[in-house]
Amino acid sequence: MATIVCEGLTKRYGAVTALEALDLTIAHGEFMVLLGPSGCGKTTTLNLIAGLEEASAGRLLFDGRDVTWLPPHRREVAMVFQSYALYPNKTVFENIAFPLRLRRTPRAGIERAVRAAAEQLEIAHLLDRRPHQLSGGQRQRVALGRAIVRNPAAFLMDEPLSNLDAALRLSMRSLIKRLHHQLRATFVYVTHDQAEAMTLADRIAVMRGGLIQQLDTPEGIYERPANLFVAGFLGSPPINLIEGRIEDGAFRRAELRLPAPRAEPGREVVLGLRPEDVEAPAPHLIPLAGRVELVSPLGSDTYAEVSGPAGTSLTLRVPKGWRVREGEGIEVGVDPARLHLFDRASERRIA
Amino acid sequence: MSGAEDRRAPPPGRAAARRPVAPRLGRGLLLAAFSLLFVLYVAGPVAWLVSSSLQTEAQATAVPPNWLPPEPTLANFEAIFRAAERVVTYETRRQGDPATGGFLPTGAQNLLPSLRNSLVVGLWVAALNLLLSLTAAYAIAVIDFRGRRATLYTVLATRVIPDIALVVPLFLVIRALGLINSLAALVVTYLAVTVPFTIFILISYFEGIPRDLYRAARVDGCGHWGALRQVYLPLSLPALVAALTFAFLTSWNEFVFALVLTQNVEAQTLPIVISGFVMDFTTSFSFVNAAGVIAIVPPVLLAVLFQRYIVSGLTAGAVKG
Amino acid sequence: MPRLGYDERAAALLVFPVVAVLLVVAAFPILYSFWVSLHDVVLTRPLRRPFVGLDNYLRVFADERFWIAVARTTVYTVVTVAATTVLAVLVALLLNEAFPGQRLLNALLLLPWATPSVVNGLMWKWIYDPSYGLLNGLLVQLGVLERYRAWLGDPDLTLLLIANAAVWKQMPLAALLLIVTMKAIPEDLYRAAKVDGAGAFRRFLHVTLPALRPGLMLVLVYETMISIRHFDLFLIMTQGGPGDASFTLSWFIYVETFRSLRFGTGAALSYILAMATFLLSYLFIRFLGRRL
Ligand SMILES: Nc1ncnc2c1ncn2[C@@H]1O[C@H](COP(=O)(O)OP(=O)(O)O)[C@@H](O)[C@H]1O
Ligand SMILES: [Mg+2]
Repeated sequence: MATIVCEGLTKRYGAVTALEALDLTIAHGEFMVLLGPSGCGKTTTLNLIAGLEEASAGRLLFDGRDVTWLPPHRREVAMVFQSYALYPNKTVFENIAFPLRLRRTPRAGIERAVRAAAEQLEIAHLLDRRPHQLSGGQRQRVALGRAIVRNPAAFLMDEPLSNLDAALRLSMRSLIKRLHHQLRATFVYVTHDQAEAMTLADRIAVMRGGLIQQLDTPEGIYERPANLFVAGFLGSPPINLIEGRIEDGAFRRAELRLPAPRAEPGREVVLGLRPEDVEAPAPHLIPLAGRVELVSPLGSDTYAEVSGPAGTSLTLRVPKGWRVREGEGIEVGVDPARLHLFDRASERRIA
Repeated sequence: MSGAEDRRAPPPGRAAARRPVAPRLGRGLLLAAFSLLFVLYVAGPVAWLVSSSLQTEAQATAVPPNWLPPEPTLANFEAIFRAAERVVTYETRRQGDPATGGFLPTGAQNLLPSLRNSLVVGLWVAALNLLLSLTAAYAIAVIDFRGRRATLYTVLATRVIPDIALVVPLFLVIRALGLINSLAALVVTYLAVTVPFTIFILISYFEGIPRDLYRAARVDGCGHWGALRQVYLPLSLPALVAALTFAFLTSWNEFVFALVLTQNVEAQTLPIVISGFVMDFTTSFSFVNAAGVIAIVPPVLLAVLFQRYIVSGLTAGAVKG
Repeated sequence: MPRLGYDERAAALLVFPVVAVLLVVAAFPILYSFWVSLHDVVLTRPLRRPFVGLDNYLRVFADERFWIAVARTTVYTVVTVAATTVLAVLVALLLNEAFPGQRLLNALLLLPWATPSVVNGLMWKWIYDPSYGLLNGLLVQLGVLERYRAWLGDPDLTLLLIANAAVWKQMPLAALLLIVTMKAIPEDLYRAAKVDGAGAFRRFLHVTLPALRPGLMLVLVYETMISIRHFDLFLIMTQGGPGDASFTLSWFIYVETFRSLRFGTGAALSYILAMATFLLSYLFIRFLGRRL
């Protein structure tokens, strides 16, 4: 178990900078999720932590020890891949036992450890099979087994659930969460799936273009997105963004006017309103009216596409118990405290 | 109609309605005709070689030719395997021999030793070639090191120079090393000839092995040697078989280098001895043909045995262009 | 990253043996050969090897045998490569079809490929034999020919007959490469062409042939590089004869070096041949790569 510190970690492939001066401290026992779109440098970060790629600049410390130049087999990290990466020529047992064999663990110890890991992952009955005889979910369990069978400094997981179907993904998600609780180990988990990130993470690092955009708890990231990118990346359906400017302590766009007391006047801004941040109208709320264009019932919730004031088009969650019809008018209330304001030029959050 | 259904043969009733029988019959006949031509062209010459090796000299040189041996005889092969017991003199050659028509070449007793030389060289080349290529191909395909492209291009570039152009300097190098007329000289030379191709095949194959397997192995605790031995080696058996076969065939068939680097029975390989027969006008045809058949058998056996691997190995780089 | 990491040390170790062997048996001879081509090296006079600059090359260019050899090599290479390619396309089309016995034919295809070139030479020489050969026997029995004739002794035919032997051995590899390329053509393309009303020939012209481009490219380059340097067949079958009818560059190099023992000019010739090969494949890739 270890604390992992990245100091200015940089990776360049020729002209491409995959990772730009990453500073990140992952505490002992923390579940850190790297979240971001494809190509943002998540895998590169994991590869650097694992030692599978050499850093172009920067340092990497495990528990204060500089491991920047240590090859992967001396770093004692375990890794789980999207493609499972099971050795096709070995049985499940041998796959799980492989890291132990390389460490010259005594035979009896291997047997015991592999069985224990297999029990924990409920794959004890599959030990004699070969990878091609397993389903996707079973394969990923074997891959997890191969990781937990030893005692690594950290678990690195690169989109481990992306190849699984939706139902399996949910159960595997809770399995991974359970493993984290039991092992109390450091996890670095890569995903582009915000739901996975939100449910699993102690902290999330949202990345884009090789840079960390925001590092915070799931709530923090969701409640206080640091910039437009983070605001847009998290939330489903995505946040509504409305361009406008600040005048007389309010956000103005044509006839639309929403209070924004702390913002400096004259600024070009983007206002963010999450679809779920609307309620039934009430005195302390700002009214917002429009016409329903499209209704999408999802069962648990119903969302409506609404053409709102000042030519905006908004996605709103219809308050519980309401009935809306396409073509009819709708009026909801918005809590001004739940509005997000971003500077249009810098895309950064204001206040 | 779904795609999968489309591919299967339609039920007979509808087939008759939609597609008349004639074109399919035509296709069958066309295929049969072309197959026959193909077989005649590819196998005909060898069949004739084999056929005449099973005839006595008189039968083989009959006019018109005996297409099939009238009385198949192994006498020519016997002559080859017993050549060592005979002293070939002017007298014995004149006296004649019923099987060979009397023209047993002077070098006949070199044939068996050269067969052995060819085998020894081929096996050494195959084994060493694999050892050398395996490590280099792994490094080039898997490790990201400075000079990796340069290494690859250098290795491949050595095969651009025609063998005949290399023969002279190589002859001088080998002579300087005191290795002229030794099997070692041939082995080293053939390594230079076969290793670039093997490396090429293995690289193509290695690049097809998922990178994540390599990552998993390294993280699990393998160094580069471990990853090579534990992951790449067991997963590339087909390519290894292909490489072994190529290396053996290449050295078994090679001619120019052996011609220049060897001088006598100590080191001469089968092609050299056989070419000697061919250029000796007094040699009996049936005897030469039998020798040719012997030289063909091992490579053809290997080729047929490992057909699948050879084809995939030969064409490994083709898909990538 | 000026530091020699684990990866680089491991790579160096793993690559070292091959590099060492190739340095001694390939790179050094290639460079040495260049050195020799700039000196007057005659084996019968081992101690005096004066530097002569490009004299060897100039002497070669002034030698009328060189131009004969160039002409012979050109004819031989063009015939061999063209015939190999056409035949390979036909064979690939045949073997790409699914029919009973197709696997057997595939196995048979490896027979010429596996045959040693020396045996290939003696086999065809025996078939062409003036007194007992199969070709004579066949043609006389069929009534095409009156009397047996010396095929290889006919200067007009020699190169073509040798080329035939070469094509027989080389065609299989070319066909295999083309089959692989054909197998990669998506079935949908053929269906689309069928729906558009294209017959078998048009489908070949508009679907198969364009898709075969990379394969044909490879075959052309490879076969040219191989054919231009053929030597074994010439030694076995004709030794450059009759007269100079099969006096190719490779044979010239051999004669100059090992019969006349003039290593300097031999090496110069070798370099010219190597450069020509290089240039040709470059031109092929450059110009045909786009259009073919
Ligand atoms: N081996 C490589 N060579 C060149 N560029 C690479 C290499 N690996 C990754 N990249 C580039 O680095 C960036 C980050 O890649 P990656 O870390 O794999 O992204 P992610 O895992 O977040 O999808 C991408 O733009 C990618 O194209
Ligand atoms: Mg990735």
